[in-house]
Amino acid sequence: MNATMAPASTARKPAPPKPINWGHIISYVVLGIFAIIYLGPLLMLVNTSLKTMPDFMKNATALPTTLNFKNFAEAWTRANFPRYLTNTVIYTATATIIYLVMAVFVAFPISRGYVKGARFLLTLFVIALFLPVALIPQFQLMLALGLYNNPIGYIMLFLVNPIGVVILVNYIRTLPKELDEAAAMDGCGYFRFVTTIVFPLIQPAVATVAVLHAIGIWNELILPTIYLTNKNYYPITRGMIVFQGVYGSNWPTLAAAVLIMTLPMVIIFLVLQRYIVSGLTQGAVKG
Amino acid sequence: MNYPFGRARARWTPYLLLLPGIFFYLLISLGPSLATAVYSFTDATGIKGAPIHWIGLDNYREFLFMGQASRDNYDALWRTLIFCFFVTTIQFVLGLIVALLVNQRLKGVNFFRTIYFMPVILGVVIQGLMWSLFLYPLGGPVARLLAALGLHSEFFGGQPTEAFAWVIVVQIWANLGITMMIFISGLQTIPEELYEAARIDGANSWNVFRNVVWPLLTPVANTNLLLNIIGSLQAWQLFFVLLGYRNGTQVLGYLIFAQGFGQTSGSVTSAFRQGYAAAASIVLFFLVLVIGMTVQTLLRRREERILG
Repeated sequence: MNATMAPASTARKPAPPKPINWGHIISYVVLGIFAIIYLGPLLMLVNTSLKTMPDFMKNATALPTTLNFKNFAEAWTRANFPRYLTNTVIYTATATIIYLVMAVFVAFPISRGYVKGARFLLTLFVIALFLPVALIPQFQLMLALGLYNNPIGYIMLFLVNPIGVVILVNYIRTLPKELDEAAAMDGCGYFRFVTTIVFPLIQPAVATVAVLHAIGIWNELILPTIYLTNKNYYPITRGMIVFQGVYGSNWPTLAAAVLIMTLPMVIIFLVLQRYIVSGLTQGAVKG
Repeated sequence: MNYPFGRARARWTPYLLLLPGIFFYLLISLGPSLATAVYSFTDATGIKGAPIHWIGLDNYREFLFMGQASRDNYDALWRTLIFCFFVTTIQFVLGLIVALLVNQRLKGVNFFRTIYFMPVILGVVIQGLMWSLFLYPLGGPVARLLAALGLHSEFFGGQPTEAFAWVIVVQIWANLGITMMIFISGLQTIPEELYEAARIDGANSWNVFRNVVWPLLTPVANTNLLLNIIGSLQAWQLFFVLLGYRNGTQVLGYLIFAQGFGQTSGSVTSAFRQGYAAAASIVLFFLVLVIGMTVQTLLRRREERILG
């Protein structure tokens, strides 16, 4: 490590005339190298998706001679994208909404101590992070319930997210308890209090958890591989892997397909960055 | 705290509304997780209606002490540790470096921070396919760069060790953003005055880092270390996307999946051996537990020494 890594080396600036700030220059060089490593794969994807197959075979890294948008049209129809994308949206939206409603009703009384054994319940959610993978018995269960290869069963798998509950519990602690008493005094019932008063007040935490949960479902590859055999039920991730199996060597078309799948994520990321960063950083335990 | 929303029947409302969440949690997550131990003593298959027999420790015996198959398992276990070691250390060091860099008051740091974090949201499928193309061996960008340096790699199609090393690269690339963000959250709790004071005392940037920043980063550094260790011991999905179940590259997490749900290759070929896979899950669990607890204890001791 060298000296330039210490933060706020800016403060070292002496009075003018300004000397060359080597600390800054080295910082930018290192940041730039990382930027290339981080944007390189994305740029290569864009570049390839605009080329024809012969172009790509001739020189994989050259810029396209003519812009070829056919890859996108081909990928869109051949990869069965409309279907898979619809499935993914349905799975993600349904499971996230149902999960959030249940999670708020779990987190609120635990946070407030309105149910007996609140502390124990919270521990129950925390230990899940360290226990063995549930994969095998979960499969046996779904098989026994007749929910194998069934969209409802698949959605059911995503109605759980212990970290989300923990995040909500911690956030609800910051709400003043006088609020509950005041509302109760005015004749507000428990259900109405949680839905109309607590819920709006914990929006930032709800958004964080929603984003964390939704991204997990959106990107899930293993569970659809295990549970969904019917092509009509495939989410986009599974569809993409199947598409890769068929079009593996046709990189321009494959790149277009990957890009179609990537762009919505990048746009959503740029718009919701704040919630996404806090959600994934707090939820990192999931690994 | 006293429950203000009424008595008698009204007192049951929070319990009633809590129930669905707890129910699904027990059904989908906690229950199956605990039941893994039970299944590990059976010969369960993934076939509906097939009888399940109690076979005691047979799965463990086979996993640990049976000829070539268990030698393969030890290889997978060893590989899991190697993967964990390289991913954890490199991701930790690089994460710290980029966190320090983007935490400076420089123009454009938000841009850098954003692009370093971006892969985290893309998921293994996109991450994997992007890198398959980026590491295209026939004249892809990295291949050309290596060629210019007089080097050559077959990347994911090369020797198992080589392919394995590239998966480590992609794994770090994909998750560096989280490590960085956790470090940044720690850096932002360090008050500006401490830097000022150290500098007035004539400390250079390295000294400031060594004596002010690094000790105060202890809690987030510990968090990062522990998260990286546990995460990388259990990670295997990039192997699934980038390599498939290839001999010489399997890690424990992938082995569990392959044994339990098919896709096996190598000396053990029978698929859907869910009892056996459950036993492997328990082995992995103990590995995570032992390493995690040891590291946790060491880190806590160090934290007490530094922060009192």
